[in-house]
Amino acid sequence: MSALRRVALSAIGVLSSFGLACALFVLLGLLTWLGTLEQAHTGLYDVQRKYFESYALVHDAGGVPIPLPGANLVLSLLALNLVLGGIVRLRRSRETVGILVAHLGILLLLGAGLVKHRASDDGRVTLYEGQSASWFESDYRWELAVRERHPDGTTREHVTPFDGVLLARDEAPVTVEVPGAPFSLEVREAHSNSRPFAAVDDGGPSLRPLARDPETPRNLPGARVALVWGGAPLETLVWGAQSAPFGAVVDGRRFEIDLRRERHALPFTLTLEDFRKVDHPRSNMPRSFESDVVVDGDRRLTISMNEPLRQGGVVVYQASWGPQGAGPGARLFSTFAVVRNPADQLPLVACLVIAAGLVGHFGRRLARHMRLEGCRR
Amino acid sequence: MRSARNLVSLAVVLALALGAAGVARAQGGPAFTPATLEAFERLPLQDVGRVKPVASYARFTLLRSAGSASPRDADGRRQGSAEWLLRLVLFPETAKDDPVILVEDSQALVAAGIDVTGREKRARWSQAELAAALPRLLERAHAADAVDPKQRTSVEAVTLRVAESALAVTRLGRAFDFARGRIPLVDGTRVARLFPGASAVSVADVLERAEELAALERELAAGDDGREQGAVAALWRFVADLSGDAHVLAWIPPLGAAEVEPAWKTPADLVVAGRRGERLHPEHAALLRAAEELVARRTDPGRLEGALSALVAGVEQLAAARGEGGSTRLEARYHALGLLGWSNGLYLLGFALCALGWLRPRARLATRGAWGLAAAATVLLAAAIVLRCVIRERPPVSTLYETVLFVTVCGAATALVVERVQRQRIHLGLACLVGAAGLMLANGYERLDGQDTMPSLVAVLDTNFWLATHVTTIVLGYSAGLLAAFMGSVYVLIALLRGERADEARQRSLARAVYGVTCFALCFSVVGTILGGIWANESWGRFWGWDPKENGALLICIAQVTLVHARRAGFLRELGTCAFAALGGTVVAFSWWGVNLLGVGLHSYGFTSGIQRSLWTYYLLQWAVVALAGVVWLRRRRAAAGRTLPARTRAAPVPR
Repeated sequence: MSALRRVALSAIGVLSSFGLACALFVLLGLLTWLGTLEQAHTGLYDVQRKYFESYALVHDAGGVPIPLPGANLVLSLLALNLVLGGIVRLRRSRETVGILVAHLGILLLLGAGLVKHRASDDGRVTLYEGQSASWFESDYRWELAVRERHPDGTTREHVTPFDGVLLARDEAPVTVEVPGAPFSLEVREAHSNSRPFAAVDDGGPSLRPLARDPETPRNLPGARVALVWGGAPLETLVWGAQSAPFGAVVDGRRFEIDLRRERHALPFTLTLEDFRKVDHPRSNMPRSFESDVVVDGDRRLTISMNEPLRQGGVVVYQASWGPQGAGPGARLFSTFAVVRNPADQLPLVACLVIAAGLVGHFGRRLARHMRLEGCRR
Repeated sequence: MRSARNLVSLAVVLALALGAAGVARAQGGPAFTPATLEAFERLPLQDVGRVKPVASYARFTLLRSAGSASPRDADGRRQGSAEWLLRLVLFPETAKDDPVILVEDSQALVAAGIDVTGREKRARWSQAELAAALPRLLERAHAADAVDPKQRTSVEAVTLRVAESALAVTRLGRAFDFARGRIPLVDGTRVARLFPGASAVSVADVLERAEELAALERELAAGDDGREQGAVAALWRFVADLSGDAHVLAWIPPLGAAEVEPAWKTPADLVVAGRRGERLHPEHAALLRAAEELVARRTDPGRLEGALSALVAGVEQLAAARGEGGSTRLEARYHALGLLGWSNGLYLLGFALCALGWLRPRARLATRGAWGLAAAATVLLAAAIVLRCVIRERPPVSTLYETVLFVTVCGAATALVVERVQRQRIHLGLACLVGAAGLMLANGYERLDGQDTMPSLVAVLDTNFWLATHVTTIVLGYSAGLLAAFMGSVYVLIALLRGERADEARQRSLARAVYGVTCFALCFSVVGTILGGIWANESWGRFWGWDPKENGALLICIAQVTLVHARRAGFLRELGTCAFAALGGTVVAFSWWGVNLLGVGLHSYGFTSGIQRSLWTYYLLQWAVVALAGVVWLRRRRAAAGRTLPARTRAAPVPR
């Protein structure tokens, strides 16, 4: 046996071992526990990024830094261990059919998680009664959009993820090339959470960076950008909550610069006709939230809690409403969570497979145990 | 002669006792007959979104206020919750002396300027004692309410609770004032002429003339007759005063369909409608008259019973016409039966008999008795859960309280099944212990929370399909996980206390049962957790969000799957399996209750507070068991090392 083969076999032996499985379970449990407790102080999004979507992390245990593998690494190794130990090297017999099936189900579930992690988009769209939209916005990610308005009314957009320009500073600006535009966009300052303010000394508005809010959706990014072209650069601020984009005319062409939540296209146009929030009588407890919507102008249906709309690969859920405290007859808005997840229904299949495997295996063991107990007596 | 006198005395005492049992005495007034109380208990009313009987309303009002569903009256006599409420609305002048407002820390009263000399720190106070200081108490409560709940001091929290209780009880005491008071009419005025021959009228009289009064008011508004205008205004002022606190009890079903007009009415609502000049419907007028009759007959037990029955029948009839209140009688019966209390008693008795069986192994009668009691207790508990399902038209678990009942019944039933298979009498005792402990937990949580245990559900929970699948499955996983923890703890304790004298076969069998129950738990925990993800995907658009409640369920799965793998790999043997199962109990407790204390996440409908001490006690007990397992392991290692030496000595060939 060659040395390489011996090393490979020994590696496979370790990777498929019960020992590794148990160690990974303990680590996953530890990460889950720490990540749960951390949520009492830190927002879910940040905890998720730190503990559950990372390959390594440093946990702060009362000032003592403890390096730990992230859940991504642990789950990846667990999947490998499951494939090698729980499926490939599992002794095939009638006794182990249930185990094999259950492991396949878990693998399917992990696969669904991977697809969701890698290939899904999610966000929200908020519509007032009577409004329509054919896109939805991310809760967490932002983008810089450069839009050209053509004289015939059409527009053309170029977007850049805001994460890519976050390191920009005066001494090290980040330049965004806009294809087809007579200028390049220079980001001179960027912050993930900031507020604009009018400086007293020179009178120009500036950005004041703020500490990150634990509730990530509350962070409002801002940037100081300049349109660099043949003439004097045009500098302006763009901010996450500004009411209108910055407009500029360069070489006789009209452009708009906008910092907004990342937008994704919906495969249909969604129109909100009516929103209803019904409380249980003589209480403030919500009984139902219902939105009557029209899809592509002709298909009428109602989206409510536990009753989402599934169409064209996206699922639209009833998520929120407003304005809070609106009086009778006030125009309401409805917020929908939108998810595009190719593995949307895989967990259900995995659940059925796992249940069949576990019930089959443990049912068989139980029956045998009962028989043995009967014989013993 | 003396014996005859004794007999007579005994007869008198018995008669008095029977009388006391049959007729509940109302302090400061005549007794309520059992039929009166029974009728009152089933009077339907609408509260926090649902139609319920007075039995439920009074129970949870008292639990919130007094921390007990059967507090003592001013004379020290225990009274039921419905009896207390009936006395409060019919005899407020004496019921105000009942100590039904629990003050957990008298410092809250001191801060409001109340003299607490001679009173215990935690005591029940009466309305009368707090009445004078109520405005100051409310003022301080208002200030405490403005403080962030997480920053509130314990005194502020107590102040807030006491003020809420005092206000609620005071208002309830005035809830039937509208039926009690008479409004004097000013002779010779046009208002008085609307009520021919009457010198004083009731609220119902006024509301029946609401249309005419509105017309009169309009007519008078055009002129400048101050006396006439004043008479009308005074009449409505009296009505408003008398019905000011009538808004706390919504016992008048509207006449429209439930879908169109879902909210029931209070007498105060009828007054508001009357003030707008709306006609009082004859059906509602009849109910108001019935309430007046009830108050008027309060000192005559026989006629009171008739008046109350008429009122209840009237309300039930109107509710039934709307398709509501169909289960209020059953719900009142559920409270009256007290199945949970009986079940708890039987479990405790069963445990005592089982313990007797352990001390005297040949006393089969004790074991059989324990079997019978445990089985009966489990059947009663199951019956209570079934009744709740019928009443609510819901699956068995939809609230945190119901998880306790379901965990208990499943845990006890599983332990009985294991006992049936293994017949070691250990699981029989465990069934009784789990049953009693679970029901005590349910009772404690009900008191702590003080909220209706059959509440209306928030929108996201309003789905019987997911409640029946995900919730039931995951709670079965909790139940089996906790049972495995108890069984593992028993194994460790036996191994510790009996050492090498422990019956090896029995211990092995117990460890096998721990493993079996853990596998059972694993099936339900895994499937339940995934079903929860699928439900989240249907409701919130994501399968998994690392929310604390989801993480808790995942932790249970991880703990159980680790045990199964570690045992399969040989890392855990009998003792290790049992110790790990005991540790798993803390994981289940963390997931079930612990994450609710964090107060974050989407599962906000399950947030809890005030249970830290109990939870930590449980954690520490289970961790102590794990530590004791370490002691057993060390002891066994030493014993094995001691045995190894002679074995090696014998290993040398012995010449024959």
